[in-house]
Amino acid sequence: MSAAATTTAPGGPPGRTPRSARRGRTPLGPTVVLVLGAVYCLLPVLWVVTAATKTPGELFTTFSLAPSFNGGLTGNVTDLLDYGDGVFWRWALNTVLYAGVGSVLTVAVSAAAGYALAKYRFRGREAVFRLILAGVLVPQVTLAIPQYLLLAQVGLTNTYWSVLLPSLISPFSIYLCRIYAMAAVPDQLLEAGRIDGAGEWRLFGSVAMPLMLPGLITVLLLQFVAIWNNFLLPFIMLSSDERYPLTVGLFSLLNQGASQPALYTLVISGAMLSVLPLVALFLLLQRYWKLDMLSGGLKG
Amino acid sequence: MRRSRTALSLVSGLVAASVLSGCSGSDDGASGGGDPDAPAQLDFWTWAPNIQGVVDIWNEQNPDQQVTVDSQAQGDEAITRLLTASQAGEAPCLMQAEYQALPVLVANGVASDLTDDVEDVRDAFPEGAWDLTSFGDQAYAMPQDVGPMMLYYREDLFEELGLEVPTTWEEFRATAQQVREADPERYLTTFSAGDPGWFAGLSQAAGADWWATDGEAWEVSITDDATTQVADYWGDLVTEDLVDDQPMYTPEWNAAMNDGTLLAWPSAVWGAGVLEGVAPDTAGSWRAVPMPQWGDGEQVTGFWGGSATAISEDCEDRAQALEFATWLNTAPEAVEALVSVSGIYPAATEGQTGPALEEPPSMLPNQPDFYEQAAQITETARGFTWGPNVNVTYQSYVDQFQSAVSDRTSFTAALEGMQETSVADLEQQGFEVAEGS
Amino acid sequence: MSETGGTAPGTTTSGDGTAGATGTGEALATAGRDAGGSSPPRRRRGTRSSRTAPWLFLAPALALFGAFLLVPILYAVWLSLRSQQRAGGGIVAQVDVVFVGVENYARAVTDPALYDSLGRMLLYGLMVVPTMLGLALVFALLLDLPRVRLRSATRIAIFLPYAVPGVIASLLWGFLYLPRVSPVRETFLAVGLPAPDFFTSTSVFFSVANIAVWGGVGFNMIILYTSLRSVPAELYDSARVDGCTEWQVATRIKLPLLAPALVMTGVFSMIATLQVFNEPQTLSPLTNVISSDWMPLQKIYTDAFVRNDIYTAAATSVLLALVTLVLSLLTLTFLQRRAFGDDA
Repeated sequence: MSAAATTTAPGGPPGRTPRSARRGRTPLGPTVVLVLGAVYCLLPVLWVVTAATKTPGELFTTFSLAPSFNGGLTGNVTDLLDYGDGVFWRWALNTVLYAGVGSVLTVAVSAAAGYALAKYRFRGREAVFRLILAGVLVPQVTLAIPQYLLLAQVGLTNTYWSVLLPSLISPFSIYLCRIYAMAAVPDQLLEAGRIDGAGEWRLFGSVAMPLMLPGLITVLLLQFVAIWNNFLLPFIMLSSDERYPLTVGLFSLLNQGASQPALYTLVISGAMLSVLPLVALFLLLQRYWKLDMLSGGLKG
Repeated sequence: MRRSRTALSLVSGLVAASVLSGCSGSDDGASGGGDPDAPAQLDFWTWAPNIQGVVDIWNEQNPDQQVTVDSQAQGDEAITRLLTASQAGEAPCLMQAEYQALPVLVANGVASDLTDDVEDVRDAFPEGAWDLTSFGDQAYAMPQDVGPMMLYYREDLFEELGLEVPTTWEEFRATAQQVREADPERYLTTFSAGDPGWFAGLSQAAGADWWATDGEAWEVSITDDATTQVADYWGDLVTEDLVDDQPMYTPEWNAAMNDGTLLAWPSAVWGAGVLEGVAPDTAGSWRAVPMPQWGDGEQVTGFWGGSATAISEDCEDRAQALEFATWLNTAPEAVEALVSVSGIYPAATEGQTGPALEEPPSMLPNQPDFYEQAAQITETARGFTWGPNVNVTYQSYVDQFQSAVSDRTSFTAALEGMQETSVADLEQQGFEVAEGS
Repeated sequence: MSETGGTAPGTTTSGDGTAGATGTGEALATAGRDAGGSSPPRRRRGTRSSRTAPWLFLAPALALFGAFLLVPILYAVWLSLRSQQRAGGGIVAQVDVVFVGVENYARAVTDPALYDSLGRMLLYGLMVVPTMLGLALVFALLLDLPRVRLRSATRIAIFLPYAVPGVIASLLWGFLYLPRVSPVRETFLAVGLPAPDFFTSTSVFFSVANIAVWGGVGFNMIILYTSLRSVPAELYDSARVDGCTEWQVATRIKLPLLAPALVMTGVFSMIATLQVFNEPQTLSPLTNVISSDWMPLQKIYTDAFVRNDIYTAAATSVLLALVTLVLSLLTLTFLQRRAFGDDA
């Protein structure tokens, strides 16, 4: 079953569509429901795109879903990029750093751990695995305070490390990597490698990793989005705006304090500019979202 | 400042957690010993926009006492770092702190006692500004900018609807009623349950004193007559639907300020700048006047916002730091630069009439004497002494008044809730609380 | 997973999968267990390097886990047993942190605000989890139907909100909720309906839940959909040949096949419900109806970061984490029995 999963692209397995296509006429109902769902999901995105075209004056005075063509968009984007000596670019770069570097490192750490948990028998394996699984259940807010205090004691708060390091441990990624390692790496291959005298590191690097790769890309994407979504950790850890990721940066534009107005037009164009690359990423990588493996663990 | 409480308290909690020490009852820091001319490297943590330009002037004149600006994201997030740094014994010499954030710095032993050091410049500031930086009789920071409250109103719409500008709260109420009668879509203003600093300012003007020390014990009087009067007054306006009840600083509020749904805004001197960001297209339609008064012939207002310069307990070059803080907040050239470069309204009395404030703010070109009036209004501002748990009181304001507004329950009961929460928190923290609080 | 059965968590020595108090670990640990279950025990050829190798592979993860999960949790427990005491009443005073035993826990469990927030969370969860999973299931089944138009466009569109961070999503929805800036209101008025108020003390549940559903439905849909796609098509085709309608194929074949995936998504959604924070926290300044302790995590946040009482906050956190753990275990155990029978 999982073998099918790893080879079947969501685009449609061969042998399915042609056969079904022969049967009956096209029902409209399902498509209508799906389109309604798509509209619901796109509405806020559509709103942010039209809102970003409005000048500060128009934003609150014209119909929300009617775009404006009075140069609001270029004005907003210019204002945003000029804001605080171009700090928006810093935030974008920081986000790429936190989410990009963070997710790659997480995958490396998780792949090794998942591989070990899947492919070796050793005393304490179950204990380690359960411990890690329990980590999925701990709320971020609960962790944020002690993490902050502990990092403060070693002088690491308000550094890139303070956001990067805690992001690297993802129990969920380890859990997934373990499933992928189980499904994709046959024991026989490892045994054969051992007989040929390959070291354990080599087996992992050149036998297991390539086989796990499609799954690892899914983990990478999940973790990328997870770090990019994480607001509380950077919000608590960072106090200098040159280290903010986009989420915290945009939030700080919203909450300027009473003596300065919230910079809504900047936030809106910032939200648009930061969501669009993610949309592009999704479109490019859509065939890697193989999430059926998520539940693979429970399949009988 | 509104949401700042989050960051501010964030800090204090954290620090308190691990610091535990540093909470100096010590007297040593207090005296201004040291040679102000000795060479020094001073760190200054601040968030005022473009303040580097002001500091550059000092650095040019004082090659031996160089000041380094560490620019913070926002006023309150700066507090987070301050408490953390202080915990590690590395707080900067100089720090900018909002008035209501100062007690947290003091209670955690970050800001040092400046009472004796500022004796010479006391007269340079209105007494109300000192109240904002003092606890008991001790001053812990030098006022930098202030936010005396004043009333902004839409001159064009007032004319259109045939309204008189209210000078007393009695008239304000009548005006609110006229607005509702003239156009049920409009309100004179809104009561914001989200802005404790705003309510504190209104209460100050009415003569409230929320905190006082009686020897070692704290007296908390949030339910005093003045505050109760203010709460009752606004409670009636909200209940009778004479004013709107939605919070300020939301997109909704922005829209209402733009399209003339709200006709007036009890705000502070910096409000002109906020209007520019909120409703740029309404430039020239606004006018600022003194706040309505409770009694005839009175002239009192309160403070909303503003910040001060504090010196840390950790500072090794105290004398030099003091010299800089004094220069920054009182020297004409510095204050002038603060006004024109950083866009603040200075606390120093003379600064308020300086040349940089001769032109009115861009939103009120129709009021050429805006800053002249602002200076007069500042004279009439009374502040009050902040307590050691303003953060808790402010949060309680938001919680209590939000539910009072949405459930239409008594505003007086909400005040009692604030009082109880504040006292309970003081007691839990181990402060002595005077009987009758 | 037949060809991978060799490794065999089935051969683990740690009990035989009876779902009990440690059910989660066990349930998930048996991940990938071969239904055949007849994996031969691994040959004892472990060299020294393969005894140390797993620990070396695990080392980075364990080090990070220890430093950023385990130690902070233990630290939180330690903090929850302490409290701050001031000596003297003035604003400057000696502050000490002392051991207070379970005092913080006592204060936390006697605070009615905690139960109010837990009640709200329960209501919120009852709205979010079934709606989100129901919609995800419907969308996944529809996507899997033969001859559906716009399959890939709608799939991407529904998945898209997953990429929008909760804080930004809440901001966007906030704009859509506020009457004066909302196109929803304008649309309602245009067709002559009374405009809905998204921020009354009851409708706010819908408003917050909607953001979570919006953000999560696509993710769950993809999980279910990719699970469906991994089922060999012949299974359906033979059913259709036997005269099953698409509805029967969906309810009789696909739904049971999806059961494990539904359990998984259900558990994740429940954990997410217990951790709801960003959405109400971001919406809170926009309205009078979301208090600072509206949800349990907001209460913890307010205690820690606004009231400076990290000790009570730590105690509440520990309690909430325990509730999460117990609920997850119970749900998993229950659902697993239901979904797979006792022999899972």
